[in-house]
Amino acid sequence: MNKIWNRLFLEERPSIGLSFFRIFVALTVGLHVIPSFFHLDDNYFSTAFKTFNTDFFPALFIEWVQKSPDLLVVFFVIAFVITWFCFLIGLFSQLSCILMTMCCYYFYALNSFHIGTLSWDILLVTLFLMCITPYHGDYFSIDTLGRGDLEAWQRRRPFFIQRLLQLQIASTFFFAALYKVTGEGNWITGNPIYYLMNYPAQGVTKHFLLKEWMSVHPAFCYVVGLLIVASEISLPFLLFIPKTRRVGICMGFFFHVLLVLTLDVPSIFIFLFPAQMLLFIHPQRIIDWIMTKRRINALSPRGKLLFDGDCGFCRASVRLLQVMDLWGKFEYAPGHKGMSEMVLEAADGKIYGGFFAFRQLVWSVPMLYGMIPVVYFPGSGIVGPWVYRWIARNRHLLPVFHPSAMRKCH
Amino acid sequence: MNIPLRNKIISFFVIIWLLVFYYESTCGYYLQPLFKRELPRMKFLFPPAGWIMFYNIGDNFSYAEVYGVKDNAPQLIDPHQILQTRAIGYDNINRNALITVLSPGMSDSFCPFLKRKFPYFDKFLITYVEYPHLSEQPFDKIQTVVYTCE
Repeated sequence: MNKIWNRLFLEERPSIGLSFFRIFVALTVGLHVIPSFFHLDDNYFSTAFKTFNTDFFPALFIEWVQKSPDLLVVFFVIAFVITWFCFLIGLFSQLSCILMTMCCYYFYALNSFHIGTLSWDILLVTLFLMCITPYHGDYFSIDTLGRGDLEAWQRRRPFFIQRLLQLQIASTFFFAALYKVTGEGNWITGNPIYYLMNYPAQGVTKHFLLKEWMSVHPAFCYVVGLLIVASEISLPFLLFIPKTRRVGICMGFFFHVLLVLTLDVPSIFIFLFPAQMLLFIHPQRIIDWIMTKRRINALSPRGKLLFDGDCGFCRASVRLLQVMDLWGKFEYAPGHKGMSEMVLEAADGKIYGGFFAFRQLVWSVPMLYGMIPVVYFPGSGIVGPWVYRWIARNRHLLPVFHPSAMRKCH
Repeated sequence: MNIPLRNKIISFFVIIWLLVFYYESTCGYYLQPLFKRELPRMKFLFPPAGWIMFYNIGDNFSYAEVYGVKDNAPQLIDPHQILQTRAIGYDNINRNALITVLSPGMSDSFCPFLKRKFPYFDKFLITYVEYPHLSEQPFDKIQTVVYTCE
């Protein structure tokens, strides 16, 4: 019994999957909440039309939140945007997650009209679990850079949070199916898909290719309905059984793509649930896959990054690059004395310098993917080299932001 | 933190979480009918009604339509102008967000909201529209005025 419990929840496994999942949680929260900030007067100020979820919040809490002056609402908007961005980039991951979640609760209690849906309640359950530990900041985060650990991508943590997130998504599928066929659910006694296909334009059904045809074929719709229930019931089992896991994940993805194409469902269905299903991939498999890629890259011709070895700032920057270089795509070596910019000798023999070397790096380093729109933004080819040159000229004056590099510097 | 203590804390948390999670998931539709009484619920965390995604879809459809009245001539207001907040990836109007305005007591806050957003109109008619039998009579539509904002 102890052994099973240990294996289910306590065993230390790589946390890189959870770190990847953090990005999707942040995106989903942002996509859900931030649009409501563009109309503060309609949604949150004293002039707003408000509804309250008294089943979710105690009445006293709602009353207390309603006393907020508009200025406090603005404060919470700013607090949300800052903490959300910190959570997205993994800066003080756990703290930013807690503060962002508190802001989410505030806006939900202030007005549930726009953001309050069943899927939002589900997202709050996910957020609560994410708040419990800082494990999601172990990689793909600024926190990782702060620690400077070159092996951060294979850091191991107790598995319980990832397991509870797995149980959450599996149970969501299971109970969603159970509610459809028991109690007040009418997926056996009625023909919900057929009714949905006959909804008027104001309804939740989108216009898609087969809609007209399905609206006059009730028997087909009924079978589709039963297949949906059967898929939802079977998904938890498919996901938890290692041999059928791949089928389960593919089926889950397909299910959500179909949902989004045919119905007006909240963004959580496409941004969060598929990513949550990826948590079923065994973390050790992810690590093995990364290791294989690193081994292959180590044996193939690699890009070589030359930097000023006499400059602490440059050494610290290269150290950060090494932390971020998940695929081990580059070699790092000090260049000649007094070089004015870093030089990248690409695997194909091309030479890039300064800002343009950085532009090449962002395509190969996953943690820099977010910089791609920035370094290719119109005009960045002019501003980028100028900024790079300014930093390069002043590099000996800049603080060495990584302790390990500082120690080596002197 | 030493590992045995850490594991005890984690185990405690996991047990409590699983108990509460499955209690809340089954309370509304299974446990309460079973025990034939209202059971205590946990606020602040779980979906109050359970995981009821599209669980009951009927052969009818209803929604709210808002009319602005100017010089005694009613004019339908596009619901996207009433609810201007755009959700990413879906349309909140198609998810029937406006039906909430028909709930009892909503006129107190919805009428001032409409007057602020649409000062052009003299008054507003909030109507309830229902298609009672979508599959058999798709054009059978009933519309009634629920309240008026003067």
